Amino acid sequence: MNIVVLIKQTFDTEAKIQLTGDGKVNDQGVNLIMNPYDEFAVEEAIRIKEAKGGEVTIVSLGGDKAQEAVRQALAMGADKAVLVNDPALEGADHYVVAKVLAKVLEGMEYDLILTGWVAIDDQSSQVPGRLAEVLGLPQANVVTKLEVEDGKVVCHREGDGSVEVLEVPLPAVVTAQKGLNEPRYPSLKGIMQAKKKELKKVSLGDLGLPAEEAKAKVVGYQLPEARQAGKVVEGEPAETVSQLIEFLTKEAKVI
Amino acid sequence: MAGNFIYSTRDHKFIIKEWLDVEKILGLKKFRDYYSKEDVDGILDQALTVCREMVAPSNDDGDIIGAKFNGGRVALPPSFHKAYQYVQANGWGSGHKDIDGEGILPGLLYGAVHEYMIAANPAFVAYVGLAGGIAGIIKAFGTREQVDLFTPKMFEGTWGGTMCLTEPGGGSDVGDMLSKAYPTGEPGIYRIRGTKCFITAGDHDLTENIIHLVLARIEGAAPGTKGLSLFIVPKIWVNPDGSLGEANDVATVGIEDKMGLKGSATAVLSFGEENQCRGILLGSPPDENGFGQGMAQMFKMINGARVDTGHCALAVAAVAYHNALQYAKERVQGRRITEPKGQRVPIVEHEDVRRMLLTQKAVLEAGRAMVFKAYYYLDLIAFSEDPDEVKEASRRLEVITPLIKAYCSDQAWELIALAIQVYGGYGYTEEYPVARQARDSKIYSIWEGTNYIQSMDLVGRKWRLENGAVFKEWLEEIGFFLEKHKGHETLAREFAILAEAFAAYQGLVKLVVRYFMDDIRLVPLYSTRILKATAELYCGYLLLDQALAAEAKLNQGPEDEVFYRGKIHTAQFYLRNIVPEVIATAKLIQEADTSALEMPLEAF
Ligand SMILES: Cc1cc2nc3c(=O)[nH]c(=O)nc-3n(C[C@H](O)[C@H](O)[C@H](O)COP(=O)(O)OP(=O)(O)OC[C@H]3O[C@@H](n4cnc5c(N)ncnc54)[C@H](O)[C@@H]3O)c2cc1C
Repeated sequence: MNIVVLIKQTFDTEAKIQLTGDGKVNDQGVNLIMNPYDEFAVEEAIRIKEAKGGEVTIVSLGGDKAQEAVRQALAMGADKAVLVNDPALEGADHYVVAKVLAKVLEGMEYDLILTGWVAIDDQSSQVPGRLAEVLGLPQANVVTKLEVEDGKVVCHREGDGSVEVLEVPLPAVVTAQKGLNEPRYPSLKGIMQAKKKELKKVSLGDLGLPAEEAKAKVVGYQLPEARQAGKVVEGEPAETVSQLIEFLTKEAKVI
Repeated sequence: MAGNFIYSTRDHKFIIKEWLDVEKILGLKKFRDYYSKEDVDGILDQALTVCREMVAPSNDDGDIIGAKFNGGRVALPPSFHKAYQYVQANGWGSGHKDIDGEGILPGLLYGAVHEYMIAANPAFVAYVGLAGGIAGIIKAFGTREQVDLFTPKMFEGTWGGTMCLTEPGGGSDVGDMLSKAYPTGEPGIYRIRGTKCFITAGDHDLTENIIHLVLARIEGAAPGTKGLSLFIVPKIWVNPDGSLGEANDVATVGIEDKMGLKGSATAVLSFGEENQCRGILLGSPPDENGFGQGMAQMFKMINGARVDTGHCALAVAAVAYHNALQYAKERVQGRRITEPKGQRVPIVEHEDVRRMLLTQKAVLEAGRAMVFKAYYYLDLIAFSEDPDEVKEASRRLEVITPLIKAYCSDQAWELIALAIQVYGGYGYTEEYPVARQARDSKIYSIWEGTNYIQSMDLVGRKWRLENGAVFKEWLEEIGFFLEKHKGHETLAREFAILAEAFAAYQGLVKLVVRYFMDDIRLVPLYSTRILKATAELYCGYLLLDQALAAEAKLNQGPEDEVFYRGKIHTAQFYLRNIVPEVIATAKLIQEADTSALEMPLEAF
């Protein structure tokens, strides 16, 4: 069974987001990681491969640094990778990304496409759905348990106190949620083997795609307002209580 | 909560890729086909992740639950088992000590991996380190059969290992030990009798067997350390086909209730209570003078363990530093001295807190510079094909080993005290990790030869090797460095301080050599301080050399500017605040003060 896993490199969950003077996100000195939900997808793909054979291919779209995330997936046990890296893709929106990924997948043989249900940076959850649409494939989202059967997958989705079980014919797009598995860390051997695995870098030209206009453009970013220091009411208890009540009713308007 | 593993790979990447000649090490035949400089970041980053996610969670259990002795057996918390299995199965463990191992990391890289593991749980690492370290000794001195029988299972971590020197009556003076070995009918097999105490990893349930290396005196051998031999004593006898046989009459009497490292089982072991304990002699029996090979063999382990002890101390103190730094940025208290009516500020803005933090950073990076120099030398010694290179590396390592062991461990205790001080009252509680780090770190100035023993190793032995030639070459390295950078502009002040300390230190050496003749009691009175001054001189040189590397990087462009500026500030701080102690110590020793000896015992 051949599986394609789509991964994205994102900021570390613990990174402190700062903006540059011109309102862009400052990536200087920020630790980059594989999107944690994509890690579940990679792990699941490797487990299916280990159980049933086949090949796991990583596909990612990103800059030079995204190689590190791709290598990590290879070090975990994926077999090969394609990284779409093109300066024209700077500012690409989900529409463009989905189209480019679809093009990469066009030339590949696969039974299943796995990816994380959301990327922790832009949190849009759009790419998998759009990609399934472009490829004309069924899709199951936010999956916490996955079983591969003949020609189909059985996907569990957790609702409020309930589980929804879907049967989806293959090929399909399935997105991973926390709980699907516990991703492994690459072993030292895995890291060293990853060096020798194929990592194909392709540009839009290689894919035969024109640079396409994004449908959505980011105008600018703003940080949330910094939290204000708390107010300390000082004085005798009787006084402070009435001050506090006044504050709560008039200023904070909570009572 | 209390564990709170905070660490960084940045200084290691600098040391390995931008300061020491990693290409030389990775270009050695042993590593050439496996690793390149581009792999360093990936390996270090992954190692840190593994240590954070898989090892650090066992730290709290180690301290709070600890090793438990029950019914003659020692049990470790489940999280230790999980971490041990993981580390061994995923290529981060004991196998890197196997010089013939395929794809092992050079010490220069494994040293970094090891540091993260120590920092994640210092009580845990000994189990991993001893298995590989003891196997390395068996490999170095054992017969083909012994090597094949014992070492593969130890390098893969299936069996553990220990080094058994200490006895109740034989601590610092190993030669006073009482353990005995009696020949049996079988060649090479002896009956072992004796009690060993303070044996790290002496008993535990991580592995199905433990291979003890026991120092003992064969009946009739010479007294003192010269007469000792080394024996392979399996806890469970290993049959010639490698299967496990019967228990080998090694009883665990108990484990110590310790100040720290509570997850590291420190056992009292009784060998041959039933007169059934069999040991396999490593190497040859004592010669016609009754001199055995045991102590020399054990020293191969001890030398490595001394570097390791310094490194352990450093790693524990580094976690304390990272935690104190984070806390200092968050804790708001007081106002700036220049703005008494201004805003309340995080304590990291206060001068004295800055001083405490930078003292920690500077001494830690100084220690790390020494430790990685040692790993660099160890790689050359083990794997270089150039005999001159091997010789030079061995000579350097001789001198710096006691410096690493004693300076790092003495300083770790003081640095952690500073980390606690940064926290104020909260640092004295067990809610934050620094109190535990203080408890964990104290042992490093004691085991593997107390720091006094280290100081006498330096002054009494290393200074005198080959009539002083080895030490002279080592000193000349600093002299050449000063010569080479004479007139350096941006770091002129630092070079001047180092030059002054260098001159003062040479005077100190001359004086102490005289004391050896005039009044030898002065030597042990001052030796620990001499060692400290020696390390401060060497560290001043290494940090200044690092500052030059950082300066070169800054000249190349703005990438990572904050880090490189930090390296330069760190070196400046160390040179201006700590290296002058060398000059002060040199002066102090001229006093030849013997008050500690003149004072009647009753007056203490
Ligand atoms: C947690 C722990 C783990 C250990 N693990 C091991 C292990 O795995 N294997 C092993 O073999 N041992 C181990 N040890 C033992 C350790 O190496 C010894 O404790 C150490 O060597 C000191 O010996 P001692 O405790 O008998 O102290 P002593 O030798 O009694 O020393 C007490 C003090 O006197 C000083 N002193 C001693 N002799 C002299 C002298 N001639 N001149 C001046 N000062 C002197 C010492 O420096 C020290 O300050 C461990 C100890 C501990 C606490």
